[in-house]
Amino acid sequence: MTKFPTNKLIQSIVAGMVFSMPAIEISAQSIRDSVELEPVVVTASHSPKALKDAPVVTRLITRHDIKITDATNIQDLLTQEMPGLEFGFAMSQETSLNMSGFGGNAILFLVDGERMAGETMDNVDYSRMNLDNVGRIEIVKGASSALYGSNAVGGVINIISRETIEPWTANANSRYSDFGHEWRHGASFSFNNTKWNSQTSFQHTTIDPIDLPKAHTAEEIALELLKKAQGLPYDESILNDDSNLSRLYGQKTYNVKERLTWRASDQLTLIGRGCYFFRTSERDTHDYHFNGYSAGLKGKYAWSNDQQLELSYAFDQYDKANFMPDGTRKHDHDYVNRQHVVHALFNTQLSAINAHLILGADLLNDYLSTYQFVAGTSQSQNNIDGYAQFDWNVTNQLNLVGSIRYDYFSASAQKALTERLAIVYKHPWMTFRVNYASGFRAPTLKEMYMHFDMGNMGYMIIGNPDLEPERSHNFNVAIERINRIDDSGFLDGRYSFTLMGYCNIFDKRITTIDGGLVDGMESALYWNEDGIKVWGVDASLGHIWDCGLSLKLNYSWMKEAGHVYYSDFYQPRSQSLTWRLGYDHRFSRYYAIDAALSGRSHGKPQSGRTDVDQGYTIWKLMLQHHIWRGININTAIDNIFNYKPKTYYYCSPLTTGTSVSVGLSVDIDKIL
Amino acid sequence: MKIKKFLAMMVAATTMVFGVYSCGSDDNENEPEKPVAAQVAGSYEGQEIIKVMGEVSSDTTTTYSFAKATDLTVDMTIPGFGMGAMTIPSFPVKEIPLTKGEKAITGKLDSYSGTVTDGKGQEKAYTVNNIVVAFDGETVAVTYELKYGAMPMPMMTTFTGTKK
Repeated sequence: MTKFPTNKLIQSIVAGMVFSMPAIEISAQSIRDSVELEPVVVTASHSPKALKDAPVVTRLITRHDIKITDATNIQDLLTQEMPGLEFGFAMSQETSLNMSGFGGNAILFLVDGERMAGETMDNVDYSRMNLDNVGRIEIVKGASSALYGSNAVGGVINIISRETIEPWTANANSRYSDFGHEWRHGASFSFNNTKWNSQTSFQHTTIDPIDLPKAHTAEEIALELLKKAQGLPYDESILNDDSNLSRLYGQKTYNVKERLTWRASDQLTLIGRGCYFFRTSERDTHDYHFNGYSAGLKGKYAWSNDQQLELSYAFDQYDKANFMPDGTRKHDHDYVNRQHVVHALFNTQLSAINAHLILGADLLNDYLSTYQFVAGTSQSQNNIDGYAQFDWNVTNQLNLVGSIRYDYFSASAQKALTERLAIVYKHPWMTFRVNYASGFRAPTLKEMYMHFDMGNMGYMIIGNPDLEPERSHNFNVAIERINRIDDSGFLDGRYSFTLMGYCNIFDKRITTIDGGLVDGMESALYWNEDGIKVWGVDASLGHIWDCGLSLKLNYSWMKEAGHVYYSDFYQPRSQSLTWRLGYDHRFSRYYAIDAALSGRSHGKPQSGRTDVDQGYTIWKLMLQHHIWRGININTAIDNIFNYKPKTYYYCSPLTTGTSVSVGLSVDIDKIL
Repeated sequence: MKIKKFLAMMVAATTMVFGVYSCGSDDNENEPEKPVAAQVAGSYEGQEIIKVMGEVSSDTTTTYSFAKATDLTVDMTIPGFGMGAMTIPSFPVKEIPLTKGEKAITGKLDSYSGTVTDGKGQEKAYTVNNIVVAFDGETVAVTYELKYGAMPMPMMTTFTGTKK
């Protein structure tokens, strides 16, 4: 058995190379080995640490994982990679999310550590987060508000851009899937020298409307209804159609991103970024238009390797409006959410005691104007916070990380104090982690000031300025073993095993209760509800054989107790499993292959709902052919065994049966 | 000349034979069958059930009307109704093509869109999808999905009624 190197310099170099290299330009074998050796993560501690040293279990999705899943955006990717996580739909086909019993608004999504504005159903617009130029994604389950503030109640998902190290790169790619006749076209360009690094990417997607198959046609239902009306014998089962959805709306997206880094000196680095996103969704009576604008400037000053200061400003705006088919803009559904964030982060190495201190502060201005407010009104508030983290390596084996954070919200005058204590003990055989963290979610401006006749149906939803923040307490214990097997024949290779048990105590959940009559209409009022407890176990197992085979298994079990509420849009499942069996091999200088047989299996809904499928399993086969220099052909068969939901309810998997996709990606710089 | 005379006589004979046959047939049958659109046209009173997100939002007795548009198509008038404080005025779905089958006369239309002015004078767009009508004798069954104005979710509607 080989002991891994622990030198931080080596870790950083290896990780830097791993995350800055496009996965397709070197042999798949080397990618895999690099990724599995010493990846560095930042989300769990706000500073770079080797994955195996992270104070909290961190799920890492590498660039190779992203490539092999052939995912277009974060929703596609997480659906395939994460057990215990499901995306669904809400009323107007806004996307909803459930992760280990937490709704989407309890999961904080970050892009390079920055928040995003806007919401669709319960979180940001997931289609803004396309995966072009993404280096890796880090997922920390459980509360993380002591580092990230509001919304980090049930977990943090941090999408981290890659930085190339080649002098220049250029890529063009295109992919077609017969599911909704979906097209995805992308292009990226980068250049790099000692002073400058630039990453530019563009992506465009289109998908047609998809009519979801039903057990019985509308004509069969009408004829059965006719029999019933005539008093003739009829089949009741034909009339009982519980589908919530009959058609998925088509949409188009455009996404362009630029990230420019200027290494002004050995001490000073400036990073500027900008992004524009546009999505249109064709609905029956009108079209929805969504815009996202994002920009930021960040400066990093390093006095030495041990002391750094980071200052940044970020702007993000998300707006939406309805348009008539003739292109006329309607103003009855205008929505604008705008955020300005000023951020400061200081970190210093306290070498004398082998510790690391981080001090940070943010000022966030949040502005919201929406058709859901009283006509003509808008609201805004400031969020001010300060936090500190002390990361102490007590011995070579024992690491303690303590964090504390204070947040203040001007609109609600609410305060939140959150803490975390993580202990990592590295036994030669195994790494043990014990973690306590608290989390909160401040009431949003919408939840405080909403005054909305839902869909003109005469049912009002009323905000509540007196709402308190949601609170969570997360306890988890984990063991992890990473090692290598040698001289054992077929099993030779590397393996990893992680087992984590957790308990989340979630209180003061913000939901709605009966609000009585308002303006003569029935109403729902935002309110803090009693909490729930979520118990669970996450297990993951990975093995990478020397012969080119690899296996990843991720299992999740969870149970909710207390004041459990099941919405049509969230149907948490107690058990779920994802897996991927991979094989990569370079046959010659001109041809290599990456193959993956992956799948996901979800158990029955915890709600006990019986009118829908009691679980499902979906398999996917992916083949990537790396040809000559920089030419890559991707082919995939999704839902190999042609699973079709019995009825399409809000939490059904988005499939109408087996689908195929084919894509071409060309690295122009490699060819030239 | 003889040939022309012979042909004329043959034409006359043929005409007489078919004419007699035709007259004989008319004598033995009822009136010619009316076009399908005319057969089903009329007003039907019965039960309308509207579901939103799988829940029954409205269960009322109302009247649907069908008017002949062409021999093979009908215009359906969906009656106005109220749901909560929202009032949706009556609106048409035009030219539903009909087919006569063994069991019933059925009509199907994938989608129909239009605009209607509501009680507040505002113009609202609507789209009706997956429209199916089935007639048998004096009974009708109707199913469709209605998207109205900015309402985010469709109203899944069924109607069964008998001719007034």
